[in-house]
Amino acid sequence: MRYLTVALTKGRLAQKTLELFSKVGITADGADDKNTRKLIFTNEEFGVRFFMAKGPDVPTYVAYGAADLGIVGKDTILEEGRKIYEVLDLGYGKCRMCICGPESAREALSSGDQIRVATKYPNIAKDYFLNRKHQTVEIIKMNGSIELAPIVGLSEVICDIVETGSTLRENGLTVLEEVCPLSARVVVNQVSMKMENERITKLINRLKEEL
Amino acid sequence: MKNLIIHTPEGFRDIYGSEIKKKKKLMRNLHKVFEAYSYEEIETPAVEYFDVFSSEVGTTPSNELYKFFDRDGYTLVLRPDFTPSVARAVAMHMPAEKLPVRLCYEGNTYVNSQEYQLNLKEQTQMGVEFIGDGSASADAEILRLTCDLLKKAGLTEFQVSVGNNDFFKALAQDSGLPEEKIEEVRRQISDKNFFGVSELLEAEQVSPQIRDAFVRMPQLFGGREILKEAAQYAVNDGAKAALARLTEIADMLSESGCDRYISFDLGLLSKYHYYTGMIFSAFTYGTGEPVAKGGRYDNLLGHFGTDAPAVGVGIGINPLMNALNRKSAREANE
Repeated sequence: MRYLTVALTKGRLAQKTLELFSKVGITADGADDKNTRKLIFTNEEFGVRFFMAKGPDVPTYVAYGAADLGIVGKDTILEEGRKIYEVLDLGYGKCRMCICGPESAREALSSGDQIRVATKYPNIAKDYFLNRKHQTVEIIKMNGSIELAPIVGLSEVICDIVETGSTLRENGLTVLEEVCPLSARVVVNQVSMKMENERITKLINRLKEEL
Repeated sequence: MKNLIIHTPEGFRDIYGSEIKKKKKLMRNLHKVFEAYSYEEIETPAVEYFDVFSSEVGTTPSNELYKFFDRDGYTLVLRPDFTPSVARAVAMHMPAEKLPVRLCYEGNTYVNSQEYQLNLKEQTQMGVEFIGDGSASADAEILRLTCDLLKKAGLTEFQVSVGNNDFFKALAQDSGLPEEKIEEVRRQISDKNFFGVSELLEAEQVSPQIRDAFVRMPQLFGGREILKEAAQYAVNDGAKAALARLTEIADMLSESGCDRYISFDLGLLSKYHYYTGMIFSAFTYGTGEPVAKGGRYDNLLGHFGTDAPAVGVGIGINPLMNALNRKSAREANE
């Protein structure tokens, strides 16, 4: 039997997902060992194999068919904009994509002034300001610690994921606008969905029952 | 620094050695199938006026077209797709009484987009257009031809997934939703977003029957039984007619013996707006994108001044070569 390959987003999302898979009886041998250097974990019984990848790479693996399925946050799906099927909301990893900044930036945000937005998600930010708010902004792509940008004066606001908001509060920032809610999703390669329809649909339905 | 004399531009490449041999052989084999079905060759120019591919025709988005100007200032484009070019040529050269006509083409298409594998912006396509016949048997002929082409290419495991654009269009018309909302629903359905559609429709005033149909559509794919299941969602005449057409095609194909390659997908909706009825994509292992795409486009010739129904298929030689290479690699492993 051909393996069904599942790409997991490294970290907490992968842990949660492996737990979910073992609940439906599909365990990945050796994946719970935190010190392992292995990249691929297989389950021979169901012909499923898992591998860990960095979040933004998961939609890429799936779009090219190197993985049949992927587990990834909605933020990454939106940002990457790949042609893949999005078939299940896993309900965990819940958070929000928000525009944040100091309270003083609220006015600039609503006045329609040209402002600077620092973000790890330039496509999401661009879509939000251009297509939904019809506001011209300058988008500054960052790679981490986005909260720093408004504090040191690099940008007026940031566009980032907010889970509890504690990092924001500690840095004197607040949520100004919400872009969209986010959570972990199951994505499927278009070709796999057709060629392995039965196995994939069965798997998805079992995961759905377990949620 | 890039040495601009030696490198090809991004998205373009040289093909030589064994690869070009394989490619040419594959194309010769496919051409034999065209001949067996008595399709005549047509060659259209790689450069067309922008209007041939404009948004009213509903093809590739304007920002993905390679554009330049002629001496008079008109906008020209490199063809992103053959169908509008062939439709234009037929409208220009062939009077209505000469129809139906069966035409085949081969050549390169140019799309300035990152969406393709290897980011190739120049892709080789071969295909046919069957113009002037609006019957279900013309649809069935194209599907049979597609199966024969893929078999001739050397594929053994592939799926031709068939849908009907009219099913969605008919339901959308009765939904009372504004145009942009329909577009969003269409995108969610064609992305097989199983829950996105219900989220979208939550706040909308849509009759429960049509809502149920839209919510179910991303999952309406599989074998012939899908057509039976879809019947309960066909709540208006247009949707019923669309299903009846698919059933008719399915009956014709079951006599031909290629029905084991055929499956149905009511959620298959093309981003090319010119498709009007039956629509399909062919998939196989080893490549992440369809190896063939096609469908019916009864209104396209009207844009060029001749009203004639038409149906066709385009084979993507690049994804097909990809699939064949992966297949032989897999077989060598076993």
